[in-house]
Amino acid sequence: MHKSKSWVALSAVMILSMILAACAPQVVTKEVIKEVTAPPQVVIQTQVLTQVVEIEKEAWTTPHPILSDLRVRQAIAYCTDRIALIKSVYDYLSPEEQQKLLMDSFIQSSHWAHAKGLPQYPFDPEKGKALLEEAGWKLAEGAQFRTNANGEELSLRFTTTNAQFRQTWAAVFEKNMSDCGIRILRLHAPGAWWFGSSTGLRRRDFELGAFAWVGEADPGGRTLYACDQIPTPANNWRGQNYMGWCNERADANIKLANNTLNREERIKAYAAVQEEFAKDMVSLPVFARVEHIAHSANLKGPDPAPGEPYVVNNIHEWELADRGDTLILGYTQEPATLFTLIESAFVASNAKALIDGLPIISKNYDYTVNLYFKQLPTLENGGAVLNAVEPKAGDKVVDVNGDIVDLAEGVKVKDEKGNEVEWKPGVKMQQIVLTWELEPGIKWSDGKPLVAADMELGKKITCDPESGAVDFTTCERTVGFEVTDTTQKITLMPGYTPPLYFTIFYGWYPSHQEIGGRKLADIPAKEWSTLKEIAELPMGTGPYIIKEWTKGQQMVFEANPNFYKGAPKIKKIIIKFIADTKQAVAQLLTGDVDMLFGETLVGAEAGTVAKAAAEPNAKVIFHTIPSATWEHIDFNLNVR
Amino acid sequence: MTNYLIRRSFQMLMVLFFSALVTYTLLTLAPGGPWEEILGRQGSETMRIDAEDIARIRAQYELDLDQTWRFTRWLFGWPNGPIRIGEQELLADFQVGCFLPLETTNALGETVIIGCQKPVTLKDLEGRRVSRGVIFGDFGLSWGILRDRPVMDVLWSRIPRTLQLMFTVTVLSLMIGIPLGLISAIRQYSLFDYTVTTLSFLGSSMPTFFFGIILILIFAITFKQWGWFYLPPGDAVGSRDYVVPMLGKVEAGSLLDQLLRMIMPVSVLVFFSVAGWSRFIRSSMLEVLRQDYVRTARAKGLLENVVIFKHAFRNALIPFVTIVVFAIPGMFSGAIVTETIFNWPGMGRLFIDALSRNDYPVSMSIFLIGATLTVIATLIGDILYTIVDPRIRLS
Repeated sequence: MHKSKSWVALSAVMILSMILAACAPQVVTKEVIKEVTAPPQVVIQTQVLTQVVEIEKEAWTTPHPILSDLRVRQAIAYCTDRIALIKSVYDYLSPEEQQKLLMDSFIQSSHWAHAKGLPQYPFDPEKGKALLEEAGWKLAEGAQFRTNANGEELSLRFTTTNAQFRQTWAAVFEKNMSDCGIRILRLHAPGAWWFGSSTGLRRRDFELGAFAWVGEADPGGRTLYACDQIPTPANNWRGQNYMGWCNERADANIKLANNTLNREERIKAYAAVQEEFAKDMVSLPVFARVEHIAHSANLKGPDPAPGEPYVVNNIHEWELADRGDTLILGYTQEPATLFTLIESAFVASNAKALIDGLPIISKNYDYTVNLYFKQLPTLENGGAVLNAVEPKAGDKVVDVNGDIVDLAEGVKVKDEKGNEVEWKPGVKMQQIVLTWELEPGIKWSDGKPLVAADMELGKKITCDPESGAVDFTTCERTVGFEVTDTTQKITLMPGYTPPLYFTIFYGWYPSHQEIGGRKLADIPAKEWSTLKEIAELPMGTGPYIIKEWTKGQQMVFEANPNFYKGAPKIKKIIIKFIADTKQAVAQLLTGDVDMLFGETLVGAEAGTVAKAAAEPNAKVIFHTIPSATWEHIDFNLNVR
Repeated sequence: MTNYLIRRSFQMLMVLFFSALVTYTLLTLAPGGPWEEILGRQGSETMRIDAEDIARIRAQYELDLDQTWRFTRWLFGWPNGPIRIGEQELLADFQVGCFLPLETTNALGETVIIGCQKPVTLKDLEGRRVSRGVIFGDFGLSWGILRDRPVMDVLWSRIPRTLQLMFTVTVLSLMIGIPLGLISAIRQYSLFDYTVTTLSFLGSSMPTFFFGIILILIFAITFKQWGWFYLPPGDAVGSRDYVVPMLGKVEAGSLLDQLLRMIMPVSVLVFFSVAGWSRFIRSSMLEVLRQDYVRTARAKGLLENVVIFKHAFRNALIPFVTIVVFAIPGMFSGAIVTETIFNWPGMGRLFIDALSRNDYPVSMSIFLIGATLTVIATLIGDILYTIVDPRIRLS
């Protein structure tokens, strides 16, 4: 009954989307772009549960009649011609570039945590067919699809979004499967349903489900592959282990990998998880996507790298060979505000990077300092220390699940060695203390030096719930914050040992700035988002000063003469908003805009620019970077 | 006439009120919203968002209030606290919404709301941001296009550009469309007529996005590559100076720059509306030319020009007036597709952006202004009838 209801709802959503698509084609285009370029909503990893749920007795634990058979899953892997899938969407890449996009694990091959020598599933339909025969799925004389002894057809529902990109490669996949005798029923649902908070993926409403994850400098993965992260009605659908995969060795190792800060140990633990992941074939990594950046050949300096989303991080070093003193960057969206505590759009982060500079970057999935700081405070270089503290009952600490709890006997915490134990008086816990040292000579764009009060204001506003921000995870877990004009010392809550601890710092605001007769420091956080001086024309310490924001059109920035590394070489930067990707490419080809990013250069647009860049005397340079985002097909091991 | 105007004004207000109510309710009932994205982030390992965080964000968007009170606050800025009579506060504990709902999981594993943990009372509304109300011209603060900044700032950044584009298009379309339709009708089945009819079929059946892209490909990209005179591919104003063969250096923001940038979007839209309007005029004229009184006029020996313009054309204009007056709200609401293709910073694009970015205050303001202009246009249409057709009386 419930199933038919959800089907009705789904069909209604799809019909509605078709009507919408018919009325306003560009809306749909926009959706697609969002799907393909922006880090999709699915990156998010789910909260760890406090209680262990007895899932055996509950719904969504019945093994899937077809997919619970390992041979069928492996057969699907062998029957998938992944190079053909890649070709279908990236036909403009060279065969070598296409080959590089293949993945054999949930971690990118260039990542420090990627394991070598994993079980492989090359395209081998004969092997796939043999596995299916062995599993009892026979091809009757003259039939196209296989059946089992009971005469049931080998047919599987394949669910993904309606993005053009996915429709393209899914069509090839369907053909691959059909060649092996597997019938695929493709369901291209709207992203809003597939990634909805109480529909689609989150309700494990699929048999084969395709979507993307975004790889990060920290591979994380606990919420994706641990046994206690399988969403079921019993745990109120918490977790992101949508496959329903529970492998003892993988479970132990994914927890270990996330509990230690020692990189060697982490690499070993991740290797074990990746091995089990490939052996069990619960999720088929299809390919890594690519990102493109294109810019005028006159521009020197951009250095795009995998893992770092903001190529403008070194914009203060860029130069224009012969185009005068203005550089125009094109983005698909306009920021809602430059008060970036409440806005995370790609364009807003880029504009903010011009005004404030990017202190740390993560090229090739490894963090380094870019501006302002002398070094990342790590345990290895002594910038961070891991103290063993002895908290008392009633103290606030972070438990093994990462939640803040009042310490009491029996609470599960990590001890000083990182082992999960039940707390009792006398048990010591880990506490991280970070010391950041600033470079000398940092000034605001009005020439005033950066002082301790500015950083105090930064911490105060960042951690004030009235600002309108959503996430206070780090604030709530910061117990000490001491600043001087050139240092920041941050003490984290006992038990809070995130793998990326060395990226935690607080930014700064110009506490001396006067707004309407008041000092910025005296204005309550609640009002900040409504202030023009904060939301539209904020002051910063970065390479550029924002001069003008013409709504719906562009933002104009000028070089900051007070930038601590010296005024940037390009005098004027314009950020232009071009929602239509075809228009954006036209502007790049006619020289109206100098640079476009991955959000614009998708699908046919990327192909057009690639072609233009390949011509002799091309005026455009086209960069192809393996993306952190990778497509995969999850096998749901359970049915309702 | 005065009586009529008063009656009509009252009717118009009622229509506006109901359209506001319906659109507001529909927007609220539609799934999704700015908090959807936040709900999606709930449960992230590095970003821990709990029910209290979500409640706080909902409250920032007023989503914790009951629909009725949200609507009245949006309409005329009330209630904004307990009712005060002198020193006394009345109904301070009156519940107007729920800050933190009480949720439980049912047998199917769905989250259902069964009550309210933390209600919102009139007293709680004190000190909350509230607009003066749309009926006083205050559309409040934007949610997504220009977060927490006035909706009017957003609208004013687009209205002049939209008017610039749409006014030009409307005037040009009338200037071209009416004579074309007229001549086609008078010379029915002539070569001219066939040409106009064919072109107008092409114009009304070719999608603007396709036509627009073809123009960009030819006049911007290809012409530039060949080193010919070319047009800038889009935008309303340039960002930096550029050189066009035959014209020389064009200064960004100059009149010439703006004119060059208008050529393509205006052409697309004019082609499209001329196609429709000329066909309309043509058929309307043909209808009238067949009437007895036209034959009578001709029989009286009147000059053909007098017959056409005084007797036929004036009558043919009556149905046309309806179409033309409805171009008035169109001038405000812009052309969604064309604006997007040519990156024209107009209202059409804004409207779509506002809807897709869940900016209800901006969407509602465009809805409402559009509705207001439509009812005003209807009234103008009715009044114009009496001018073009003296037989119609408004009393």
